[in-house]
Amino acid sequence: MRKYKQPSTVGRFGEFGGMYVSETLMPLLLNLDKSYKKIQKDKKFKKELNDLFKNYVGRPSSLHFAKNLSKYINGPKIYFKRDELNHTGAHKINNCLGQILLAKKMGKTRIIAETGAGQHGVATATVCALFGLPCYIYMGAKDIERQKPNVFRMKLLGATIIPVESGSKSLKDAMNEALRDWIKNVRDTFYIIGSTAGPHPYPKMVRDFQSVIGQEAREQILKVEKKLPDYLIACVGGGSNAMGLFYPFLNDKKVKIIGVEAAGRGAKTEETAATMTSGTPGILHGSYSYVLQDNDGQIKEAHSISAGLDYPGVGPEHSYLKDIKRVKYFGITDKEALEAFQTCSKLEGIIPALEPSHALAYLIKAFKNKHKNKVVILNLCGRGDKDLFTAAKAIGFDADE
Amino acid sequence: MNNLDSLPKKKILSLFMTCGFPTLNQSKKVFNEMLSHQPNIIEFGLPFSDPMADGPIIQEANKLALRSKLSTQQSLNLIKELSKSKNNTSFVIMCYLNTVRKFGLNKFIKNIKSIVDGIIIVDLPFEEEDAIKKSLSKNNIHLIKLISPMTDKKRSKKLLKNSKGFIYYISATGITGSNKLDYKEINKNVKSIKKMSSVPVLVGFGIKSKKDVIDISKKTNADGVVIGSALIQKYFDIKMDFNKYLKSLKKFIQEVKI
Repeated sequence: MRKYKQPSTVGRFGEFGGMYVSETLMPLLLNLDKSYKKIQKDKKFKKELNDLFKNYVGRPSSLHFAKNLSKYINGPKIYFKRDELNHTGAHKINNCLGQILLAKKMGKTRIIAETGAGQHGVATATVCALFGLPCYIYMGAKDIERQKPNVFRMKLLGATIIPVESGSKSLKDAMNEALRDWIKNVRDTFYIIGSTAGPHPYPKMVRDFQSVIGQEAREQILKVEKKLPDYLIACVGGGSNAMGLFYPFLNDKKVKIIGVEAAGRGAKTEETAATMTSGTPGILHGSYSYVLQDNDGQIKEAHSISAGLDYPGVGPEHSYLKDIKRVKYFGITDKEALEAFQTCSKLEGIIPALEPSHALAYLIKAFKNKHKNKVVILNLCGRGDKDLFTAAKAIGFDADE
Repeated sequence: MNNLDSLPKKKILSLFMTCGFPTLNQSKKVFNEMLSHQPNIIEFGLPFSDPMADGPIIQEANKLALRSKLSTQQSLNLIKELSKSKNNTSFVIMCYLNTVRKFGLNKFIKNIKSIVDGIIIVDLPFEEEDAIKKSLSKNNIHLIKLISPMTDKKRSKKLLKNSKGFIYYISATGITGSNKLDYKEINKNVKSIKKMSSVPVLVGFGIKSKKDVIDISKKTNADGVVIGSALIQKYFDIKMDFNKYLKSLKKFIQEVKI
């Protein structure tokens, strides 16, 4: 295999990706791309970001050997890359810090973002508080309802939440509204996209900022196991935590990589978010990638118990990695994820977010009594605090809201 | 023959309307009303589930049109049927790329050939247009270009090379929290566009009244206007009473024909 070198200069991962936006946004994206390229070579920027990673986020996040879960599965040795220990409770902060530093350098004075589960919204509101910039978060009305703790967090951090009532009232619609805001306020506003989705240069930029996860995991596993892992597993919604873990391993042919999508009530049902299992290539939010769509190209509503995976598209790099068969993608249902959510809590004393619970569920299902003597790294990209009410309701526990 | 090649020099009126809005049957009546005024251009919006470059009013129109699962083929059939009473009016389709892609470019062109004079694919940037532009021009359909206040001179020059039909200048951008038209800026940018291209320049986005139309004509160098959201807004203003809507549409179009 040739050395992995994606995307192209115009943001193509194979045929996927690109910049499909109106002329109101095109000049901005080109300018953003230019500024990002420049900053990548800037040593001062790197140092600033690394300092923040270390002292503000608490990086490197630990690589925890999940002994009890490994024993329970009776299969491989399982390691958790614990990005849920980051400040704000998920991997999202890595990318937000990178982007806000870029926004500062570009002289932007107003920050907008979209959020699904609220993790990216919280991370954005956090960096805005830190850097003293006004912050506007677009969030689907449905997500506001199911992610109340995060809504309160964002408000505490000084952000303005703008409820989105259009469409399915979740992440996809929040992104539409944020893009509209950006079109209207192009001159002073920086749009911090939280996932590896959207038009170029976002998928590349977000991946690069998140790849600190994989870089650390690589060093850490080499230290404890004296070898590279046999498997990587991460959940995929838009795909930022997964790209962050996968990217530094893509050239290591022997490392098998698995992405786990949210299949909702089943990948073959209409209530799913398993874009790569059930979707076809199309254009959504400025990027050519797999999407859930009907025969006329109308985008379907996604469904998942996890607000962070409830998105009918996926980052273009995942589509590419699927098509070249470098990464295999599987779907996990709401029910399976909820079971894994409980299993992990009981066995490891770690309450995972519902997003990585999908990755956990796949691991438990597919590796049980198999792959002994192998080593697996699973990206535990978020903690479960935000999901307590949702999970309690789904499990049937009477939690007094 | 392409009607866009014989647009008048001044006071061009282009009316935008979403196909299938509010319903497919009512949509026919809406377009017939519009056609009866013989505007220079009618823009047919093909409804899309995620019209990210459109404002909330057109988004709502898209949603209503898609309620009854309106297909691309039905929209194209509607346009074909209306073209019988087209006369000198230019027909332009405005849509998103995913709609064309999923329908199939060749099949799409086959359906609109000799019926439609131009097409605006909102999210198809200049950088990606080559193959599509070629197929369209072979069939005498013009790919209409959008220019925004953010498009700088260097980029405009590239975009406007060999432009056909008209140039769509998007006016209301970059004005935080305000939908007021900045005539000074519009005039400056339109002038600069006209230096680079000989086809008419129409100003769109945010034109709501007869006064706006007259002001654009008097205070700027633009050759005409595009009115879209304001036509749709009327429907919500009269609480979705369709018969009243047709009447108010008639009155409004008479007003803006200056």
